[in-house]
Amino acid sequence: MYVELHAHSAFSFLDGASTPMELAAAAAAQGYPAFALTDHDGVWGSMEFAHACRGFGIRAITGTELTVELRPAGPVSDRGLSLPGESSRSSPPAGGTAHLTLLVEDETGYRNLCRLLTLAHSHTRDNTTRSQTQPWATLEQVEEHAEGLVCLSGCAREGAAAGAFERGDTAGGERVARRLLAAFGRDRFRIELQRPYWRRDRARNRWLGLLAERLDVPCVATGNAHSHDRRRAPLQDALVAIGRCETLEESEPHRRGNSTSSLASPAAMAARFAEYPEAVAEAERLAERLRFDLTEQLGYRYPGSEDAGADAELARVCNHHLGERYAGSARLLEAQWRLEEELATIRKLGLSGFFLLHRDLLELAREVAAEVRGPESARNVLPPGRGRGSSVSSIVCYLTGLSHVDPVEADLFAGRFLNEETTTLPDIDLDFPRDIREVLIPRVHERWGADRSALVAAFPTYRPKGAVRDLGKALGLPPGEIDRVAKTVGFHERTAAEIERDLVASLGPERAKEPRWRVLLELADEIMGLPRHSSQHPGGMVISTRPLIDVCPVVPAAMKGRQTVQWDKDSCADAGFLKIDLLGLGMLSAVERCVEEIGRTRGERLDLSRIPLDDAETFESIRAAETTGVFQIESRAQMQMLPRTQPRDLDDLIVQVALVRPGPIQGGAIHPYIERRKLLREDPEYKVPYPHPSLEPVLEETLGTIVFQEQVIESAMALAGFSSSEAEGLRRAMSRKRSEEAIAEHHRRFLAGAAANGASEEVAEKVWNQIKGFAGYGFPKAHSAAFGLLSYQSAWLRIHYGPEFLCSLLNEQPMGFYPPDSLVHEAQRRGIRVAAPCANRSRVLCHVETPREEGDVRGGLVVRVGLGYVKGVKKEEMEALVAERERGGRYEGIAELASRAGVGLPSLERLAWAGALDGIPVGSEDDRRQALWQVGVTAAGRIAGADTQLALPMEPPAPPELEPLGEWGKLIADYRSTGMTVEKHPLKLLRPGLDPNLVRSSDLARLDHGARIEIAGMVTARQRPETANGVTFVLLEDERGSVNLVVPPAVYERHRPLVRTVPLLRARGRLERREGVVNVLVSDLAPLERDKPSKPRPRNGRELAIAELRAVTPVGHSFGRRGR
Amino acid sequence: MPGLRRLYAPQRVAVRTDPRGAPTTVEGHQVETVREEWLVEDRWWTSKPLRRHYFELALGDGRALTVFRTARGQRWYRQRA
Repeated sequence: MYVELHAHSAFSFLDGASTPMELAAAAAAQGYPAFALTDHDGVWGSMEFAHACRGFGIRAITGTELTVELRPAGPVSDRGLSLPGESSRSSPPAGGTAHLTLLVEDETGYRNLCRLLTLAHSHTRDNTTRSQTQPWATLEQVEEHAEGLVCLSGCAREGAAAGAFERGDTAGGERVARRLLAAFGRDRFRIELQRPYWRRDRARNRWLGLLAERLDVPCVATGNAHSHDRRRAPLQDALVAIGRCETLEESEPHRRGNSTSSLASPAAMAARFAEYPEAVAEAERLAERLRFDLTEQLGYRYPGSEDAGADAELARVCNHHLGERYAGSARLLEAQWRLEEELATIRKLGLSGFFLLHRDLLELAREVAAEVRGPESARNVLPPGRGRGSSVSSIVCYLTGLSHVDPVEADLFAGRFLNEETTTLPDIDLDFPRDIREVLIPRVHERWGADRSALVAAFPTYRPKGAVRDLGKALGLPPGEIDRVAKTVGFHERTAAEIERDLVASLGPERAKEPRWRVLLELADEIMGLPRHSSQHPGGMVISTRPLIDVCPVVPAAMKGRQTVQWDKDSCADAGFLKIDLLGLGMLSAVERCVEEIGRTRGERLDLSRIPLDDAETFESIRAAETTGVFQIESRAQMQMLPRTQPRDLDDLIVQVALVRPGPIQGGAIHPYIERRKLLREDPEYKVPYPHPSLEPVLEETLGTIVFQEQVIESAMALAGFSSSEAEGLRRAMSRKRSEEAIAEHHRRFLAGAAANGASEEVAEKVWNQIKGFAGYGFPKAHSAAFGLLSYQSAWLRIHYGPEFLCSLLNEQPMGFYPPDSLVHEAQRRGIRVAAPCANRSRVLCHVETPREEGDVRGGLVVRVGLGYVKGVKKEEMEALVAERERGGRYEGIAELASRAGVGLPSLERLAWAGALDGIPVGSEDDRRQALWQVGVTAAGRIAGADTQLALPMEPPAPPELEPLGEWGKLIADYRSTGMTVEKHPLKLLRPGLDPNLVRSSDLARLDHGARIEIAGMVTARQRPETANGVTFVLLEDERGSVNLVVPPAVYERHRPLVRTVPLLRARGRLERREGVVNVLVSDLAPLERDKPSKPRPRNGRELAIAELRAVTPVGHSFGRRGR
Repeated sequence: MPGLRRLYAPQRVAVRTDPRGAPTTVEGHQVETVREEWLVEDRWWTSKPLRRHYFELALGDGRALTVFRTARGQRWYRQRA
């Protein structure tokens, strides 16, 4: 029977229209016993494909279609002439390229394939922008790595043999074929025949057949499938056009030309090659030989896995620290017992080396942290990073420094992280401040070797907006229209139907009927979720004992000094790779900055691990939802919940952090939890109801609801008697969305187990539904504990060190839920003073000014916005400006500034617009227009070589009478130049011209529930969570505070573009107050316009132009399904 | 537009086929052999999608001829190219 030996998935990146899973399923359905995946220059999808095939009971053959360089015709012995240096490798191949199909026969072959692919990619980022170029290997490299591989002569259009025929270079084709035959031998080289239904098929195959006879090797038939189904052929065409940045019309010569390059049944393929029955039989014979199984024969080991002394060493390290950490503790015995138990499990699993490796890594991080922070830094008391995820529950992790939470004290269950039945390596995730992480990653490459460590890959997939843009271009739709539709689409949309509504809304129903737009909608539906290109995972690293390039190809990443394997985190997990997540966490950086700033401003050396964990003021602010800027609990959804759950201690906060996640929300945990907390507050004797008595110990801390990930496992174990690995299997089946059948099987066993335990079917189904609703999208408790602590620490800093905290948040942007403008306004409402950037006071980053430091700042601390906040200025110029000021004293005049600071005209102009030159010289009027005029007449046009005329430090003549910018003008200039204003809130300036019946956010507290109101403000965040049934939330800010607008689906549909894009809104609706939480349920929306004509302005009578503000205000953050 | 005429426009021809759909006679002339056979599926994104099954033929009298069948209507045309 025919077996397919040449097929492409979407991991050929824009030259394949189906996922590996779809191909595997279609191949199984068509009755293929085996099937090869041969994506271009990679095995990106091979692990996924191998596992998918295994699931369907068919054999996956691993391979690739490799691009090889063809030297211009000449003697074969020219090898010695070109040196394999960087320069010659990075230039495009002079003689063009051709394709070869390579298939893995055995383990040696797989190793050679990985090495060959690594070589082919090694030069792909050798350009100054490190943008990716075409990978290719030389024919010599192929020859050197031939062992264990079967080589087919390549596809019809670009194959090494067939392509030569197409180009009319039959002699060249034969020469290459003879070289390949010599390298691979008669057993492992075949002439590849394809029948793509192109005009010269018969002529080409006749020539190939004759060539095979002359070479005395068999021909083999292949299909070169580019999709799993004929219906995907149009998408394949579109992808080719996208990949070439052309329209479909333009890409005609490069497209497949017809729909026959889709997967067809073995019988149909045999019929297609009716003239070459031997080539069909040869495909079957070859497939029989290609028995390498990627799911079993990878041969990967992590460093330390073979170290015989690892068990003893790990025990020694842990016992040493146990004595230290628990000296005098009442729980020492308990800790000892837990340690013994964990160590025994680790020994049994052979994982001691794994933990020691992590410890080494942390030691490395400690060195890096000391370097990055500098010897004097107040940050030095902080650990270099901290654990997150389930590893925080392990006492071994705590004792080896991998986590900072005491699992004994916090009652954390290590079963999910570590159990004897576990088949995959446990996950240890480490969070680092961003600056430390940046240095650590290349250091890991150095420590374990560039060939033994790499980052994990990630594959950005098509989402609606990108789908509209890319497909629109391919279909040749007008760029203006594409742009309008793409802008409306946002990232809220999920289906083609939703895109269609946006299309009609932005172009009108008539235009939306245009055939090309209809086609776009169909294609968009199919393209979504397909990978577009390869990229790097934010911090996942793989480390190996044997060279990684023997187990997976390694390719250069976009960032210098970094490289990735060709597999994403799922494939790496399937491969059993030891993966360490070194994550950069913005809040961790912010907290570190804050500690440092506090040390600088107040001379206090703060040890965050020793702050009181029961600070009343901090918890009061949390309960009142005054948490802007606080880690995790600052989001709109969290703020809505805090007044209702009323957290009183760290344990409550740990639950709180885990609560607003899709798992607990869909599992129906939220409302019962809030309700029961309320009942408990009112009546401490209240008995929490549990679905079944066996669940009480498991769900006690979350009041009978499933909030933490391990509660899924524990519930299944307690109620249905699952073993821990069965329960873990259940969790995986649900979280990886891979197998409905597996879930159904777990369901059956769950019901049977629960019945055996005396639970009624009704109770069992109820608990099952909670588990299923949870579906794994929640935090493990240990992760929550790590995050909850950081939430508390940041809330504590916000209360006790407000200015420093705000300052560090501003310096760590982008991060968190709110744009800087909102952070500033909220802080100002709490009395924190924020000052605009100033050339005589600001540093490059924001900093806190103390009275001590600045003689003329009186009465406390002021957050001074940094010069770096001014958009478009050059960082080096700002550094020079600050350095010169520190060296030679403040700038007494603008001309002097221009001559001393080494700042070019464009940056000076931007500083002037931002108000950073106001008040220079001291005592001058604060006017930006005057400053601009002076900059213009004094600054040197540009800084260049030594010969350029320098600006003279001579004060220019007084400027002509210039009209001052005015408050409104300054506001616009502020937003345009820094994206925020530290002066009056826009709504305060607008208020006199607005309808007096509009309420303000501060009025809401005294209005009745159900009151009809109208309110205006600036949008700071929009959110349309997947879990909210189409409801959109909009945060609106005015001069007094913020209000949450609830926009029901019907209103959203009516005002879609308004909700999405308009920064200044006016909303009408009903006030809703529930348990101290106020919302406005919106019935109508409008853009904010002036209601009555303003008094003619005395100077130029110009209308307040809201449009002007609209153009410059920050758009506000939008959170769709990516959310947080 | 008056005065303009499309060159090489396909012309309708009468074709008999074998059970597999390959031409056996064209305009009464015997087909000696099918030299090539290919498919063009293009412009599917427009209101006039193109779907043609081409045959390059050698006729009994030694002439070479290219004909195609449209997907819709099953009409045959000869193409001069």
